[in-house]
Amino acid sequence: MNDKFASWPHRVLAVVTGALRAITHLMLNIPERPMRWAQRVLGGQRIAWLFLTPNLIIFSLFTFLPILINFYYAVTGGVQLWPSERPFIGTENFQKLFACDNYFDYSTCDQDLFWRAIYNSMKFVSIQVVLMVLFSLITALVLNRKIVGRGFFRSVYFFPVLLSPVVVALVWRWILLRDGVLNAIIESMGGEKVLWLLDPSWSFFWVIFVTVWAQMGFYTLILLAGLQAIPRDVYEAAQMDRASPWRTFRKITLPLLMPNMIVVLALALIRAVQTFDEVFVLTGGGPGSATTFLVQYIYNTGFAQQIQRFGLAAAASLVLAVVLFILTMAQLRASRSKIDG
Amino acid sequence: MARLQLKKVVKSYPSGDVIRGVDLDIDDREFVVFVGPSGCGKSTLLRMISGLESVSSGEIIIDDQCVNDIPAAQRGLAMVFQSYALYPHMTVYQNLAFGLENIRTPRDTIAKKIAEAAKMLQIDHLLDRKPTALSGGQRQRVAIGRAIVREPKIFLFDEPLSNLDAELRVQMRAEISQLHRQLGNTMIYVTHDQVEAMTMADKIVVLRSGNIEQVGAPLDLYNRPENRFVAGFIGSPKMNFLPGVISSIDSDGVQVKLDGDEEPTILARVDGAGRTDGEKVTVGIRPEHIHVPGDQSTGRTAAPNGGNTVKLAVKHTEQLGSESYLFAELSGGKRVVVHLPGQTSARIGDIIDVQIPAPSCHIFQTDRGEMALPRLDAPIDRPTTPQTDQ
Ligand SMILES: Nc1ncnc2c1ncn2[C@@H]1O[C@H](COP(=O)(O)OP(=O)(O)OP(=O)(O)O)[C@@H](O)[C@H]1O
Ligand SMILES: [Mg+2]
Repeated sequence: MNDKFASWPHRVLAVVTGALRAITHLMLNIPERPMRWAQRVLGGQRIAWLFLTPNLIIFSLFTFLPILINFYYAVTGGVQLWPSERPFIGTENFQKLFACDNYFDYSTCDQDLFWRAIYNSMKFVSIQVVLMVLFSLITALVLNRKIVGRGFFRSVYFFPVLLSPVVVALVWRWILLRDGVLNAIIESMGGEKVLWLLDPSWSFFWVIFVTVWAQMGFYTLILLAGLQAIPRDVYEAAQMDRASPWRTFRKITLPLLMPNMIVVLALALIRAVQTFDEVFVLTGGGPGSATTFLVQYIYNTGFAQQIQRFGLAAAASLVLAVVLFILTMAQLRASRSKIDG
Repeated sequence: MARLQLKKVVKSYPSGDVIRGVDLDIDDREFVVFVGPSGCGKSTLLRMISGLESVSSGEIIIDDQCVNDIPAAQRGLAMVFQSYALYPHMTVYQNLAFGLENIRTPRDTIAKKIAEAAKMLQIDHLLDRKPTALSGGQRQRVAIGRAIVREPKIFLFDEPLSNLDAELRVQMRAEISQLHRQLGNTMIYVTHDQVEAMTMADKIVVLRSGNIEQVGAPLDLYNRPENRFVAGFIGSPKMNFLPGVISSIDSDGVQVKLDGDEEPTILARVDGAGRTDGEKVTVGIRPEHIHVPGDQSTGRTAAPNGGNTVKLAVKHTEQLGSESYLFAELSGGKRVVVHLPGQTSARIGDIIDVQIPAPSCHIFQTDRGEMALPRLDAPIDRPTTPQTDQ
C-alpha cells in the first residue's frame, strides 16, 4: 500500500508494529552477548544448569523444602512454630493418631476427628468416584451421538471445569442456603423449606453432587476423546456381525475405552482423596463434622484451631501422602499393563 | 441361494443425489464387480445393499424380499471393509468368533467353523494374535475369514485390496477368485481398479456419478463398450480418442476424417445407420490394436485385413522387455499411444507406417451420452498380452 494514501489508523498501526519489532529485536539482542560469553566460558553442558536454576530454586523453596519440613514437624511436638523451639518426640504424633481401642468405632479413638475424617473420606471417595465415572461415561456416550446442539452441550458440560472451585461452591451455597434459591423455588410451589446444608445426610449428598457437577466435564472430555478414537467401521463391522447394542457396548466400546476409563478412575480417585476447597466453602465440613474430610482435618488441626498442633497435622498429612502414593502407583501400574496387554 | 435386485435405487444427501436410480439384477453365485472412478458412488451402493446406509427411494430385493427396512444385522450379508475393521482388542480367534457368538452358536460349532476357515485362509497359526501383530495381507485374510464363518448369503467387499502392495494384491486377487469358486456364494466386489474388475468378475457394473454406464461380462465391456466413458475406463493403457467428422457411410462401415488439415481418414467397421455425413464424432482405437508391420522384433506382422494405414512419428518409447509402448503423433500432431507385444525396433524420431484394422475401431457420438455406434462384426482382435498390473 502507498504510504501517501494510508489512513491514519493504518499509520498508527504501522508505527506500533515498527516499535514492537524494534523492541523485540532489542530484547533478543540484549542477552545475546552475555549468553555467548557464558557459553564460551561454561561450555554446552554446564550452561543447561544456568537455565534450570531459577526453576529449581522455586521448586526447592516452595515444594521440596516444605516436604522436608513436614517430616521434621511430624516427629517434633509442642505448639511452637519456630523449628528450634520444637522438642523431638519421635513417633508420638503417629501413635496419637493411631491410638484406638476399636478401629471400627471412631469414638474410641484418641483423635476421633481424624478417624471420623478418614471414615468420611472413604465414604465420600467410594460414592463420589463411582458416580463421577458413571455420569461422565453416560454423558460422553450421549454427547458422542449425533444429537442436535452437540457442540453446545459439550461446552455446557465442560464449563464448570473452568470455574474456580471456590466460585462453584459459593454459587451452590447461594442456591442451597436456608433462604437460598432452591428453597425459594420450593416455597413458591407450595413446598416446605429443607435445610440442605444443615442436615448431615443432605449436606453429604450435596457435597457429592456439587463436586461431581463441577468436575465431571473434565472426565467427560477424556472419555469423549476415547470414544471418538474408536473407528466407525469397527462399529459397522459389529453391526454386520449381528451384535446387539448392549453387546456392542460391552464387547467393543467398553474394552476399547478401558485405557481412558483407567485414567479417569485414577484421576478422579486422587482428586477425591484431596477434596478440600469446594467442601470447605460449601459446608465448612459441617454440620458438625459430617462433611469433614482428611485434608480439612489436617487444615483444622494445624491452622484453624486455638491450639495449633502442627506436629499432629504434619503426621496426618504424611498418612495422606502414603495413601496418595499407593493410589498413584496403582494407577501407573494399571495404565502400563493396559498398554502392554 | 441369493438373488439380489436393485430397483430404481436412489441415495440422496442434502448436498445432492449420490446414487441416481440404479437398476440391477445379480444372480445367485455370481461374482459382480462395481467399478468406477473415485467418488462415483460404489461404496455408497454397496453400503446400501449391506444395510449400513439407508435407501432414499427405490427397492433392494434379496431373494424376492424387499429389505429396505430390514436392519443390516438381519440381512444375512457379510462385508469385508477396505480398512479391515478388525476388532483391535480381540485375538484373531475372537474376531472370527464374535459374529457367531452373537447368534448364540454352540462353542464347539464355533471352534469347528473357525478351524475350517482358518485352514482355508492359511491363518491357523495366527489365531492367538491380536490384529496389531499381523501384516496387511494377514489382516485382510482375517477380515475375509470373519465373513466366511458366518456363511452369509452374499459377500460384500469394499476395495479389500487397496491397502496391499502390488504383488500381494495380485496374489490375493487370485485367492479371492478361488474362494468364490470354492464357496459358490454370490459376491459383490467394489474396486476402482479396472484390472481387478477384468480379472475377477463374472459381471462388471461400471458406475459414473451415481449412474450405471454399462453392465456386462469383462470381455463384452472390452469389446463392445456402449459409450466413450466405458471404453476409456476398461482397458489399459487407455483407448486413444481422436475427434473427427463423418466423411462417408456405407455397408463397409463409417469413414471419419480426423480433425486437423494433415490428419488421416479412418475407416471403422461400425453401423452408420441414422448418422449423417459431416456429423462430429470421436474415433476410439485401443493402443494394442495398432500394428507395426515389419517391426521384426515384435513377431506381429501385418494385421489380418489391413483397413487403415497411417503414419506415426515416434516421440518416446518405453520398453518393458515383454511389451513396449510407443508414444507417437499422427501427421497433424494428434497424440497416440501404441502398445506392442515384445520388444520394438522403433526409435525416437522414426516415422513409421502402422495398420489399424477397421473392425478394431470404435466410433462414439459427441452429443449426450457419447454412445458408441454398433460394431458390424465380432471383434477379430484381442489383447495379445495377458492383463497385468502396472
Ligand atoms: N454422508 C455423506 N454426505 C454427503 N455426501 C456423501 C456422504 N457420503 C458420501 N458422499 C458423497 O457420495 C459420493 C460417492 O461416495 P462413495 O464413497 O460411494 O464413492 P466411491 O465410489 O466409493 O469412491 P472411492 O473409490 O473414492 O471409495 C461422493 O461424491 C461423496 O462425496
Ligand atoms: Mg469407496
